[in-house]
Amino acid sequence: MIELQNVTKRYGSLVANDCVNLQIWRGELLTLLGPSGCGKTTALRCITGHQRPDEGRVFIDGQDVTDVPTYRRELGMVFQNFALFPHMTVYQNVEFPLMIRSLAREKRREMVRDALRLIRMEGLEGRYPRQLSGGQQQRVGLARALVYRPKVLLLDEPLSNLDAKLREEMRFEIRELVSQLRMTAVYVTHDQSEALALSDRVAIMNAGRLQQVGTPREIYEQPANLFIAGFIGLSDFFEGQVVAVEGDRAQVAVRGLELAVPARAGMSSGQPVTLFIRPNDVVLMDESADAAENAFQGRVDKVTYLGDIVDYRVLLANDLELRVQTDGRKLYSPGSSIQVCLPAERCHVLAQ
Amino acid sequence: MMWDTLRRYVRGLWNGRFILAYTLLVSLSLFIITPFLLILVKSLGKEWFGYRWLPPKVTLDWYKWAFEIARVPEVMKNTLIIAALAILMSTTIGICSGWAFGRRHLPGKEALMSIVLLPRMIPPITYALGVAQIFYALKLVDTHFGVALAHVSICAPFAILVLSSTFQSLDDRVLEAAGVCGASPVRTFFHVTLPMIMPGILSSMIFTFSTSYNELTLTLMTYGPDTITLPVRTYLAVGLGYWEVTSAMSVILVIPSFLILILIQRRVAPEKLLGGFKGL
Repeated sequence: MIELQNVTKRYGSLVANDCVNLQIWRGELLTLLGPSGCGKTTALRCITGHQRPDEGRVFIDGQDVTDVPTYRRELGMVFQNFALFPHMTVYQNVEFPLMIRSLAREKRREMVRDALRLIRMEGLEGRYPRQLSGGQQQRVGLARALVYRPKVLLLDEPLSNLDAKLREEMRFEIRELVSQLRMTAVYVTHDQSEALALSDRVAIMNAGRLQQVGTPREIYEQPANLFIAGFIGLSDFFEGQVVAVEGDRAQVAVRGLELAVPARAGMSSGQPVTLFIRPNDVVLMDESADAAENAFQGRVDKVTYLGDIVDYRVLLANDLELRVQTDGRKLYSPGSSIQVCLPAERCHVLAQ
Repeated sequence: MMWDTLRRYVRGLWNGRFILAYTLLVSLSLFIITPFLLILVKSLGKEWFGYRWLPPKVTLDWYKWAFEIARVPEVMKNTLIIAALAILMSTTIGICSGWAFGRRHLPGKEALMSIVLLPRMIPPITYALGVAQIFYALKLVDTHFGVALAHVSICAPFAILVLSSTFQSLDDRVLEAAGVCGASPVRTFFHVTLPMIMPGILSSMIFTFSTSYNELTLTLMTYGPDTITLPVRTYLAVGLGYWEVTSAMSVILVIPSFLILILIQRRVAPEKLLGGFKGL
């Protein structure tokens, strides 16, 4: 439905988008995720037409729109700071795209009423943006973007200006709306939990380059590189060297300790590798428990109680520090000796 | 309900601090209003030679004099034409400069802004003579355009200040939103940009009008028999000693400004007109 082909955009010497190739399918919600300055907003603005790529082409619905100005691209967009027209009422704001397209007044009224019903703001048509709360303003922005059923809906960090609780509620509303209307949507955010919760697919960017595109599960469980593993969720990283490869298992030496991990294709003895494991996959057991695969002696260094989880800093015998998160059913106190188990299947190997 | 407020008011008055505050407020108000009251009374009084509180007879003779002999209607016409020209030129300059100041990155912007404000920092009399000399050479003396041009030197700084603040606060994203909604740049301008900057433009125009309307010094240096403005006429009448007629002309002078102030004070807070801009 949307395609960015070899899109490159530079601001002076800064390369904001470096040869970005991305395809967004019809009817899916794809999130562009990445830290500030990674180029996700630039990529979005190439789709909308607010930026013109220096190289590459942009396609929407099969048509090359690289030379088409924004106002002819039939898009809907929701902005981070809402961008409502301050001199117009809610009704007039939502009506604006229809008014521009010279639709008949009765038809306009019907469509505006529909849109306001979708966002549950009937009865507030006469209010001005300055009389609305942040959440209400953003809903009006949504209505304005959706009222004429555009081909594509674009959302540029729409929830960043709202408080945390409202953000969570609006997340579901947006997802519902987009599914209900069967729209193609491109969402930009730096909040990875938002990205994982909302999207059909996630495209991670860093320093202008596309790092990985996949479903939230794929991104989380099989990150393609070090950056993604560190950016999505929490990770404990280890550098080590492959000692031996036997069948589907490999032995990796990490600072004197040996870990059994799933073998990857092309692993050979002596190869340096980077491993990572999610802190909530690490299992803590009593010192006296039966030995298990990848279980090591360790000592609890710091404990942080967070209610639903407990965050530990644990030191292993070889001075390796691990961050561990458990559900808090069993609490270990600082200084106590424990066994730390890193289940082999939950250890991920990244190519060096 | 009125009795409640009255009771509260009186009770409040008995409080020592309030007495002091109210005394000061009333004194200040009298201090400001008394000259106007004096002029108003003088313009309506006959045979009032200063040894009584109020004039013995009330008359409108002085107003008749002002209209027929001092030719106030014609003078008012001049004043308004010059003000209109000054508004036109200042607003144009203000829009162009304000756009640059408010939305573009200019090296030395603060220095430029200081230079722009310079005519307001120094008394016009210091450069009025220079202006007069140039105008004589260019044959601009005693033309409406000439006097208006002189006024622009003190009107444009305000216009630039107000409009650069207006343009600076013009949110780009709102204009982008209009584009995404399907509005071409032209339609975006008329439907979105213009309504958003109109309050700033109106504010600048009111300020410019007020400045030009009340300007004496520069007008004195550039006027002629065809371009007598109301402030000049009043000043000349004072010099001739006709106090009562002068009072009548002063009252006439004040009325338009007063009317405008009342009209706009609902829409634009007067405090905003006098300061509180970004960068000031």
